[in-house]
Amino acid sequence: MNIAVLLKQVPDTTAKITVSDGKVDVEKVSKWSMSPYDEYALESGLQMKEATGGIVVAIACGPDRNKKMLTDSAAVGADTLIHIPLDGISDSVQIQNILAAVIKMNDIEVVLCGKQSADTNSGSTGPGIAEILNAACVTMVSEVSFVENKFISVRPSIAGSEKVSTNGISVFTFDKGISELRRPNVRGIMMAKKKVIETIKLEDLGIVESDSGRIILHSQNPPTEKEPGQIFEGVSEIPTIIAKLRNEANVI
Amino acid sequence: MMSLIFIIKIVPFSRIIIFVLYLHGVLRNMNYDALDFYEVDSLLSDEERMVRDMVRDWVDKEVIPNIENACREGVFPDEWRVALGEMGVLGAPLKGYGCPGLSYTAYGVICRELERGDSGLRSFASVQGSLAMYPIWDFGSEEQKNHYLPKMASGEWVGCFGLTEPDYGSNPGDMITKAEEDGDHYVLNGAKMWITNGTIADLAVVWAKLNGVIRGFIVERNDPGFSAPEMKGKHSLKASVTSELVFQDCKIPKNRLLPGVKGLRGPFSCLNNARFGISWGAVGAAQACFSSAKDYAMSRIQFDHPIASYQLVQNKLSWMLREITKAQLLAYHLGQKKDIGDWIPEHISLAKMNNVDIALEIARVARDIHGANGILDEYPVMRHMANLESVKTYEGTHDIHNLILGRHITGIQAFTREI
Repeated sequence: MNIAVLLKQVPDTTAKITVSDGKVDVEKVSKWSMSPYDEYALESGLQMKEATGGIVVAIACGPDRNKKMLTDSAAVGADTLIHIPLDGISDSVQIQNILAAVIKMNDIEVVLCGKQSADTNSGSTGPGIAEILNAACVTMVSEVSFVENKFISVRPSIAGSEKVSTNGISVFTFDKGISELRRPNVRGIMMAKKKVIETIKLEDLGIVESDSGRIILHSQNPPTEKEPGQIFEGVSEIPTIIAKLRNEANVI
Repeated sequence: MMSLIFIIKIVPFSRIIIFVLYLHGVLRNMNYDALDFYEVDSLLSDEERMVRDMVRDWVDKEVIPNIENACREGVFPDEWRVALGEMGVLGAPLKGYGCPGLSYTAYGVICRELERGDSGLRSFASVQGSLAMYPIWDFGSEEQKNHYLPKMASGEWVGCFGLTEPDYGSNPGDMITKAEEDGDHYVLNGAKMWITNGTIADLAVVWAKLNGVIRGFIVERNDPGFSAPEMKGKHSLKASVTSELVFQDCKIPKNRLLPGVKGLRGPFSCLNNARFGISWGAVGAAQACFSSAKDYAMSRIQFDHPIASYQLVQNKLSWMLREITKAQLLAYHLGQKKDIGDWIPEHISLAKMNNVDIALEIARVARDIHGANGILDEYPVMRHMANLESVKTYEGTHDIHNLILGRHITGIQAFTREI
């Protein structure tokens, strides 16, 4: 079975982000990492490969630094690595089109990805790709398995959790999974070194970069400075405090 | 997320209720930032970088949260042995027989990342890889290599190295542990001391005199006449097992002799490998102390300003940066020379001696910057400081390496009174 895992490289969650001229200073980001929810998707893909046989196809769309992330995914067991070079910020529809085109080229039976990326957080890639592929889509799953020709996924519900089964080509977007991404080992690292990353250019997919996006990013700004605290002293202040907690802080 | 700060004092109870701060990286949770001022790590190969990240990540997740407790209790957590085996970092530079086959530079990187966690942790890996696996790999028979190495690489069997004796440390050549032939066995008598991993080891590579010549013998845990009591009461390397090895008419089959080496060349080859790893390891300990000292100085306020704003503190931090950068370059270049096979033992002596010496001084100055807080195990600095006292003494004391270099420069040995 061919299992596609979609990986996005984002600024590490501990990296310092600076903004200038209304845009994030991408060049100044000190550390890039695999988006955390994508890690759960990758771990699930590796477990599915171990249970059913097949291969994991890791796909990343973005600048050249994504290649390191793909090699890291090979170190834990990804078999095929595909990189679609794309610089600059792009919109979700463009990404969906690109990734769906690559998925179509590779005879994929299941697509796994994070529910949203840790930088843009749009959360639309998985469902968008499912639309294009006319595939089943289950979002916010914590685990997926392949049993008797069906995909069984678990996701939260008002009752606690629900099991959803799908047939045919399916897309699953991951929330926090039941297993953390496994640690690589030296053997995996040495084998990953030899893995060739397949590069697919936009032209090969028949996609023109300039007119495939529909969303224009106007500006990015850091969060507003937090307000200074307010100090109250004495029992007589209690009514004021209660009023503020109710009306301003909205906690009671 | 809401970030409102309410400080509510209700007199007369003077109760201060929830002081909520949304700070991305309060001191205790800051992501580890390894000092690399000249970006020496950018020279690492992809493989070396990935190995570094794998070990650093594991140390962050599994060692840092548990090391202080392990230190207090004086135990080496068995889970770490298992994890090191699973990661495949034991015996890093050895090739074949199930061993990792990494470069010496990668071995150095592994030691550096482990020692940033704790010197005792790195000692376990040094002993297993350089002192127990290496002599079997280089001087053992094919049967011995096939029998022992794969299980040692996986961490299933733990090894240790028996050279030092109670009365013979810097002078191993005059050791009195003896091996005598007895039919198809050897019988060992004597004692070794200061042996890392001894009590938990499945096998020991023991150096003893057979007919007056130093040879290597593999002694297994259950061999009759062999015991390995733990040495208690250490103020240093507390998260590491240190033992005596006692041989009282210890009988071992003849096939346990290491056939490939005679004399001190055997143990000294092992020590060269371990010392190389230590020269990198010390950099890790120094980086950990610097990182803690810098974070502390930036947040500790005294006289209305962070102590990082005062000149004497900046002088100390700047000195640390200088020494760490020099030590990194020394270690990296040594790794390159080791990898191309262009090195002499004196090169390793220089790096071990220099890097451990400055690491110990950095730990002391870092403790000083932390003030009173530096004596608590909430901060790693005093643990590193205590550990580095051992690291300065073992694997060739500071003074011995000094004399090794002096002999290299002058051609005249100054270890003993007799020329």
